[in-house]
Amino acid sequence: MKEFDIEKLERKNIYTMPDDLFENLQGRVLSGVKSEFDLEKLKRKNIYAVSENVYEDVQNHVINKVFSRKKAPVFKLNWAYGAAAAIALIFGATFVFNTNNETNDIQNSNTSYAANEEPKKESEVAYETLKSDLTSVENNNQKTTDRGESKSFARGESEKVQKTVTPAVQSVSKKEESQMNEYLDSFSNSEISELASNSTQDVYLDLYN
Amino acid sequence: MKIKDAEIISLMQDPRTQEKGVRALMDAYQSRLYWHIRRIIVDGDLAQDTLQETFIKAYQNFHQFKNDSQLYTWLYRIATNEALQQINKLKKMQKTDEDPEYHMQNLVADNAGEDAEEIQILLHKAIQSLPEKQKLVFMMRYYDDLPYEEISKIVDMSVGTLKTNYHYAKQKIEDYIKENYDR
Repeated sequence: MKEFDIEKLERKNIYTMPDDLFENLQGRVLSGVKSEFDLEKLKRKNIYAVSENVYEDVQNHVINKVFSRKKAPVFKLNWAYGAAAAIALIFGATFVFNTNNETNDIQNSNTSYAANEEPKKESEVAYETLKSDLTSVENNNQKTTDRGESKSFARGESEKVQKTVTPAVQSVSKKEESQMNEYLDSFSNSEISELASNSTQDVYLDLYN
Repeated sequence: MKIKDAEIISLMQDPRTQEKGVRALMDAYQSRLYWHIRRIIVDGDLAQDTLQETFIKAYQNFHQFKNDSQLYTWLYRIATNEALQQINKLKKMQKTDEDPEYHMQNLVADNAGEDAEEIQILLHKAIQSLPEKQKLVFMMRYYDDLPYEEISKIVDMSVGTLKTNYHYAKQKIEDYIKENYDR
């Protein structure tokens, strides 16, 4: 083999290898890189953001809720006590209601006695109505000029009214009667007639009620 | 100085010192419970409300607490139940065509702080992709470092089942991160 030249030798691999060697190699290399990751070696820390006074708020809320409630304890009530309390309440309320009604009646009667000493008779009420009517008419017609002409008619009318009123009203004083006459004298004919018709109606309404 | 559980319990049991006891209880456990609830619920305001309810329930039912279990185990149990109730309420309120898992993952991204690392956000998204029990087991073991025996009392599962759940949860999370993490 004097003429052997290594340069002329075919360059080929003599070793056998699996066909998918390179494909698997890539996978193994990549998985090797990833397999470096070890969960146990990872730092165990919290990643979430927290507000500064979260624990203070929690403590305040808990203490307020737990101990403010404790200041006003709620007792467990036996049903029998509950029923008894309900019955007592019903009777109590009824009693108070009735007592109030009686007291009100007494108070009302007391009030009327206190104001008038004795209850008004129907006739007195009628007289007062008439009087208030006359007063209101007088107030509405202050500018009366023809007083002289109407005097006799007015007197007649007033007497008529008085006649109507007198039998019904027994306890009216003379002073009041004279005052009434003075009022009537100051009215004109038309006013008196209007007044008389109104007052008569009122009186009859009261009498025949 | 940290107040011990025994002292908290004794304060809570005496009506004259109950308020002091509740304050001590909150001081001792508010942070741990808040983060436990927050990791389940994600939303900050809702987590705060749930923490409040947890302490109120703890106070109201303190007579049911038995000294044979640890105080934090009992509190974790209440907090977990409250948080799961809130999650169920949210699910009921959600639109029927909305995927709850997708919704929670979006909520993670929205609630993450500005300085949160991508890998950490991805981890929390991966946790939200887990089934409910695996999620709870993983969070209590991974973040709070609770012993399996204590987790077992909180979620009413055997230690063996918990270990299996944790293993699967971890595997799923790693797969999720490998799949989604771009470096």
